[in-house]
Amino acid sequence: MYAFQYHKAKSLNEAGDILGKDEEARPLSGGMTLIPTLKQRLAQPTQLVDIAGLAELAGVENKNGVLTIGAATRHADVAASKVVQQAIPALACLAAGIGDPQVRNRGTLGGSVANNDPAADYPSAVLALNAKVITNRREIAADDYFQGMFTTALEPGELIVRIAFPLPKAAAYCKFPHPASGYAMAGVFIADTAQGVRVAVTGAGASGVFRWAEAEKALAKGISAAAIEKLTLAADDCNEDIHGTREYRAQLVKVMATRAAAALSGKKLHGQDHIEG
Amino acid sequence: MPAQLRPHAAVDGAGICVMLIAIPTEEKACRSPGRLAVRVNIMDQHHHHFEVGGAHLSRLEDLRLIKGEGCYSADWNLPNQVHAAFLRADRAHAKIVSISTAAARKAKGVLGVFTGEDAVKAGYVKPLSFLTFAGKDGKKANISERPALTADRVRFVGDLVAMVVAETALQAQDALELIEVEYQDLPVVVSPRAAVAPGAPLLHDNVPGNLAFEQEAGDAAAVDAAFAKAAHVTKLRLDVTRVAPNPMEPRACAVAFDAGSGKFTIHSPVQGINMMRMQLAAYTGVADDRIDVVARDVGGGFGQRSIGYPEYVALMLAAKSLGRPVKWVSSRSEGFMSDSHGRANYIDGELALDRDGTFLGMRIDWIADLGAYLHPAGPVSPMRNPVTCLNGVYKTQALFGRWRVVLTNTAPVSAYRGAARPEIAFAIERLVDEAAAQMNIDPAEIRRRNFIPTDAFPYKTPTGSVYDIADFHGVLDKAMKLADVAGFPKRRAESEKRGMIRGLGFSTVIENSGAGMFPKDEARLEVHADGTVTAYSVSHSQGQGHETTFAQIIGDGLGISAERVKLRQGIGEQGLIGNHTGGSRTIVGAGTVCHIAAKKLVEVATPMAAEQLGCEPSQVAYAHGEFKSTASNKKITLGELAAKKPLTVTGEGKFGSTFPNGCHVAEIEIDPQTGVTEVLSYVTVDDCGTVINHTIVEGQMHGAVAQGWGQIFTENVVYDPDTGQLLTGSFMDYAMPKAGWIKDIQIAEHTTFGTISPLGVKGMGESGCTASLAALTNAVMNALRPMGVPPPDMPLTAHKLWQAISAAKKGK
Repeated sequence: MYAFQYHKAKSLNEAGDILGKDEEARPLSGGMTLIPTLKQRLAQPTQLVDIAGLAELAGVENKNGVLTIGAATRHADVAASKVVQQAIPALACLAAGIGDPQVRNRGTLGGSVANNDPAADYPSAVLALNAKVITNRREIAADDYFQGMFTTALEPGELIVRIAFPLPKAAAYCKFPHPASGYAMAGVFIADTAQGVRVAVTGAGASGVFRWAEAEKALAKGISAAAIEKLTLAADDCNEDIHGTREYRAQLVKVMATRAAAALSGKKLHGQDHIEG
Repeated sequence: MPAQLRPHAAVDGAGICVMLIAIPTEEKACRSPGRLAVRVNIMDQHHHHFEVGGAHLSRLEDLRLIKGEGCYSADWNLPNQVHAAFLRADRAHAKIVSISTAAARKAKGVLGVFTGEDAVKAGYVKPLSFLTFAGKDGKKANISERPALTADRVRFVGDLVAMVVAETALQAQDALELIEVEYQDLPVVVSPRAAVAPGAPLLHDNVPGNLAFEQEAGDAAAVDAAFAKAAHVTKLRLDVTRVAPNPMEPRACAVAFDAGSGKFTIHSPVQGINMMRMQLAAYTGVADDRIDVVARDVGGGFGQRSIGYPEYVALMLAAKSLGRPVKWVSSRSEGFMSDSHGRANYIDGELALDRDGTFLGMRIDWIADLGAYLHPAGPVSPMRNPVTCLNGVYKTQALFGRWRVVLTNTAPVSAYRGAARPEIAFAIERLVDEAAAQMNIDPAEIRRRNFIPTDAFPYKTPTGSVYDIADFHGVLDKAMKLADVAGFPKRRAESEKRGMIRGLGFSTVIENSGAGMFPKDEARLEVHADGTVTAYSVSHSQGQGHETTFAQIIGDGLGISAERVKLRQGIGEQGLIGNHTGGSRTIVGAGTVCHIAAKKLVEVATPMAAEQLGCEPSQVAYAHGEFKSTASNKKITLGELAAKKPLTVTGEGKFGSTFPNGCHVAEIEIDPQTGVTEVLSYVTVDDCGTVINHTIVEGQMHGAVAQGWGQIFTENVVYDPDTGQLLTGSFMDYAMPKAGWIKDIQIAEHTTFGTISPLGVKGMGESGCTASLAALTNAVMNALRPMGVPPPDMPLTAHKLWQAISAAKKGK
């Protein structure tokens, strides 16, 4: 780790100021990606601006059909929140399955969405639920926010304040975790929203989280496993590494989507209980 | 429902979450196995009946360790110490053209920068090797030098190029980046089969063809004859992949040098201080009485902590040169790169059978990938242990094997829990299972037809071992019953209805334990005035629970509670001779000499007590820590006696080989849509001789089976075949087995009392690895074989099984 200045921000404005002025400064929330990166000397920020304790980034609220979660809310708190569990249980469950207990007790919603790791869980929920990313400068629609692996619409000095999730009629998330990291090798979030059924895929895409248009079309007439089983996801759209070929990831996306759809349609599939260690 | 995969919650209402993810289970990972423990009474009357043995005694060290009161290597901080950091090769094979250290030397806090030149000048250039015997055609091994810091050429990613010592660890790490190395890249070879092919890039000038050693064992002519008359021959490729042992405690080392006495004091993880001292002395040429190794707690060893690594030697160089103690703590990333790897044995096997399934002969062609340099014991165990048990548990008479020790541009490999015992058991048991399937013989039946009969012990094997005692039929029968093998077809049909593929497989294995490389084992007992006893041993616990088992043995011998016995290990000035912990041998060697010392203590103390009690020694009776005169009824306790006169004894013994054995049965289910294998049940029936502490034996079994599970299903060290870059250098990419992945292990014992130790013990630290590799693979193959899937290579990842199943489906 290289030496850096640590600055505990007193307000969102102050954090935004520092980060706006110093391009080499980095915001620190849970630090679950940033700190390992620093320890490996892969980044050399001038200062870390700690925003984890800011009151402006805290809070969970379900009001007027929208669930709003502060950016600094830790995964463990989202998972345990009665408000989240009642409003969008799939989101609480997703949070409960991120990484491991240590990560869930430090990592935050805003940190994960700002980082936009192509295998992170939250981006699929934000995209499928058609959420709004609210920053210290503006509101960004989910469809505009994610712009490829580790790339987002955020500008220098722009910080996520909270994320607003319109309540869906129903939602389900099904994930095949990588046996080592726990990240998604394929994670499929299906949400039945006011704008129709939205299917977002994480972990498998060649350029990060994406909406699976064919699946959305197939499920528009009614959500069922059978509707997904007829589809094939093009392997070319998937990524490949030592842990899995494109073809395998395409298969996993289909299986996870099938199982999520089956859960939403209330139909239990054979073998549904035996998914993915 | 596998515990680890249970849906996290299924909530009614607006949303449903089908979280199908790995979640640590709250259920107890393993069924309490004690209820299943049944002992058979093949009892040798000469054996000591262990009075407190069989206890489910919780470990005496656990409270101390759980409270954070352990003292591990990184916990040693020496007065006036400074810190080292290592510059490691970022490429797999290159000539070092030049190293510029000037900028680093000027950096803040830097006290010294050391390179290969310094290591060569000091003569710290050649590690010890136990590969001293002659091989094929009487040829000795080609063993290269390995200066503690590499001098001219890097040979794997992580090879040591330079060391910076500074006032703080951060300063040392910062200064590393100021060192400039000019490399000239050389061609890379990663696969050991490619390394022995003609024209392969060569790693060392004195190792032609990258072949450091070749050995043959057995009777080639007899095997040729057996194969010539065979009704059936089964051939398999049986590669056992390279894994990263990953003890929980990272490596760390602190070295102090006292110029006055010329003595080094070294704190590092050890499996035994004698083994460490011997290696560091050989590496540096420093007399071993000038090296004091001091260690307390060790957080996992698995063979990886028995090595005198070049980093430790480089720290000796720095401590001597700078006159200040030097400390280094490895990062996990450095560990993945430079801690010894395990297994990496590439095996082709053939089994010849007659019409009835009788094994006529077996032939093995074995390539051991040792990485870029030979660790001291690294090349020995893949030959010594397989040759010792080359026939497994069977009567097979014609055996032949060829072993090649090969160098590649990868991290050096050394012993890993089992040290090639798992590999030879895997080879034999996979061959046996495939042969049974090919010949349509029940896999249990083919084993029974070939077992060494229970009345044939002691049994001399074709390769010269003497199996002391075992009951293979009894072990198998008990395991079959516990695993309800009879009910398997019904369970398989039920799985099929759910679209799942079920399989059951087993292995019946044996392994050598006992014999060690030091001339004897010793344990010293010292009685204190309060009646407590301190025991000294050089067989170091890395988590095995010696503080408990040794205390139980000594407590039993003295008739006092185990809590009154405190073990001190790693105390160099006691000067004890003895083996390190390894090869499942500690209970046989160090454990037995604890028993011998306890008996000797009573013998030595009896005349002392007689003097105090005013009677003849023959009139003194000893029981429960107290001597009593049968003449006067006067008493004196061990403590009272020790208060009057120092009371210390040393017990010693030398032990040959004994042979733990067992049968493991695995039942698995594969999801054809994802390729994920779930282990539904796992049964172990082991004969490790007398059990001192069931809790510890069960814990050893859980850990070793989990390591076997990891090796078979997820663990795999992967190097890029073209560049030699390590692709699995962190826990993000290298999948260790996790809590909850194995939901149920039923453990039972089937004891025959070993004849090598008066305690009847045989050892059991490694048997879980030895048996599980084949049992799990056989279960997967039992599931897949009906679909026409050929045996896939290890590890059997979900991805690989899905591909294999998909290919088989397309082929139909």
